[in-house]
Amino acid sequence: MPRFLREFFNRNGVGMGSLMLGLVLFWTVGLIILPQLSMLDFSFRPNLPPPEIGGPKDVYTVENYKYLIFGPEGGSQDYNAVDLRVFYRTLIAAVFVTLFNLVLCYPIAYYLAQTKGNHIRIFALMLIIPYWINEILRAFALRIIFGETGVLNNALVGLGIFDTPFDFIRNDIALYAGLGYAYILLMIFPIYNVIESLDRNQIEAARDMGASWTKIHRRVVIPYAKPGISSGCTMVFMLSAGALAAPQILGGPSSLWFTQLIYQQFNDNSDWPQGAAYAVVLLVTCILLVLAVMRLFKVNMGDIGK
Amino acid sequence: MKSFSFMRVSIWVYLAIFFAYLLGPLVIMSITAFNSPEFPRATPWECLTFEWFAALFQDERILNGIKNSILVGAGTVVLSVAMGLAGALMLTQIWPKLRATYYTIIIAPILIPGVVIGISTLVFWDRINRMVGLGADSFLSNGLFLTVIGQSTFIASYCMLVLVARLQRYDTALTEAALDLGATHAQAFRKVLLPFMKPAIASAAVLAFLASFENYNTTTFTFGEYPTLTIELAQKVRYGITPAISALAFIIVVLTVFAALFNEANIRRKDLVAAARKDATVEELESGKFRVPGFLSSNWAAVALVVMACATVVVVGTATVYSPAQCIANVQEQKRIETELRIQELRQRRAEEAARKAAEEAETAPKPQAAPSDNNSGFGGVFSPNTLTGEGEEESKAPEAEDNSNSGFGNVFAPSTLSGD
Repeated sequence: MPRFLREFFNRNGVGMGSLMLGLVLFWTVGLIILPQLSMLDFSFRPNLPPPEIGGPKDVYTVENYKYLIFGPEGGSQDYNAVDLRVFYRTLIAAVFVTLFNLVLCYPIAYYLAQTKGNHIRIFALMLIIPYWINEILRAFALRIIFGETGVLNNALVGLGIFDTPFDFIRNDIALYAGLGYAYILLMIFPIYNVIESLDRNQIEAARDMGASWTKIHRRVVIPYAKPGISSGCTMVFMLSAGALAAPQILGGPSSLWFTQLIYQQFNDNSDWPQGAAYAVVLLVTCILLVLAVMRLFKVNMGDIGK
Repeated sequence: MKSFSFMRVSIWVYLAIFFAYLLGPLVIMSITAFNSPEFPRATPWECLTFEWFAALFQDERILNGIKNSILVGAGTVVLSVAMGLAGALMLTQIWPKLRATYYTIIIAPILIPGVVIGISTLVFWDRINRMVGLGADSFLSNGLFLTVIGQSTFIASYCMLVLVARLQRYDTALTEAALDLGATHAQAFRKVLLPFMKPAIASAAVLAFLASFENYNTTTFTFGEYPTLTIELAQKVRYGITPAISALAFIIVVLTVFAALFNEANIRRKDLVAAARKDATVEELESGKFRVPGFLSSNWAAVALVVMACATVVVVGTATVYSPAQCIANVQEQKRIETELRIQELRQRRAEEAARKAAEEAETAPKPQAAPSDNNSGFGGVFSPNTLTGEGEEESKAPEAEDNSNSGFGNVFAPSTLSGD
């Protein structure tokens, strides 16, 4: 038995130690690492009926990835324009949702963190309550508002701003509003946590030295809040790129989210390897994008989740 | 000073907009639960009705979904709190060089899209199932098992974060002392560490249950023959929405507000009691004269809680005796009258049209009809573009206009205009 293992059992006892080790190994290896590897492996295999799996036809292939880029074999187009456009659009939209949330939430987080008083607790409650309510129901609420005969259209037509109802759903405005709505809390909380620990004297000092309001934020608050901001942005970006409920409920009939393509591959086409390949592409691209942005802004991985 | 107050006002305006965005949809959705039209809408308001709540409680699939959600939630809470606690304890003990890697691995499920977790769980356990040689209906490919496993993968990470925060304040000397005094490791864990961790475990369990209850992305791949409430809702919302869903949402909103107020009231009360104790003299405390402040005194959350409870009782009481039938009948009657009026209007207009057409025909008999099919259409020409302007006028004006000039500017640019003077 290696020394560190013996030490571990000495400290925790054999029974408790092995229970703990067993649970941790089951979680990290059995639930996190192996399923991801298994999905990766699966994405390189052809789509075979169950009896043929493990048979002579079950060989590694990059067919599934080729399909995403070049489309079906013998297709009329050189590239799989439909799927690639969806993929591209999903990423761009997720970036915009993230920026929108950041701009919207930063002032709120700053205000909540730097103001003392009883009403702050009420605000915090009002922030949290919507997040105890189902994601589907939140999307449903927005659909009632943005629908053709919804509250917003009735109000706008009633006020005479529009002559005819505006189709918010077909124009994807409902979708972006829904995605932004869904992850507000995940943006506010990390920023709030960091700004709360900022010493107010620093801000006062900067003000005494004659710094303008924008300068205080640019030079004092934002550099300090960087870990929180990056943590919030990472979570919002990953979650909105991987969102499924909001696009299914609020998305227009002609526009798809990349996760919807994955869902279709699994449930409608029952082409699991193809779906797995798409999922791998989504995961890897998102991680690379996040890592690149983190490197750009010089943030460490360890700051995430704090 | 002026700019200061301007800042204040703009902050409040911003806060108002922000919270309107946050809470407005929920309020509007709640209103639609009480409005009578088949399609959930807040405007126009027709009748106050409670029938959507009745419809909700008769919906077999929703009730079955709630049952499945609770089953899945219970399994997920047990598994993810256990794994989260083990993971958190491991984090405090692990070899420093491995620490960063280990932390990255156990935090990763939070960032991995739920869709990906669902797929990988499905694919992996399907493969295990085949390797072990079990059939398609074994417990490994059972929706309940897969959903619990899939959800626990990332919910355990949330639990771990909550538990680690509390564990960092734990003094390991306490466990060592217990061991020195002859406790076994299991005893030390159960009697020393577990009581210390209890509040954090409770909040981790609540968090895990809520996260499991509302999860969609992962569950949608793994649910099999155990559709949870979220799955049922999603299917309903995607294929036609009814106010019964608003009713369910309203119930969830009310429960949430209740829970939040209850929690808040408890915290406030504890603070108040502690403050009162601090202010009380030793004599008062010892002689038993010390009075604990009342539940409602200077505790807005408790007051709000009581008010809401009363309101709920009143509403439920009203709902049992209230019948919207009369109102709905009225609205229907009104709608009927409206349609009738519209039909009459249409008829009248059609009659006028016919009369005018007849007169016109008599006047300009040899002229070819511009649109002979007009009169044949079922709408009697009301929708034809000429109806509004009036055909007769148009035709009589046309030759006049031709006389004036061919250009739209009517002669101003003609060379004669300038040189004429």
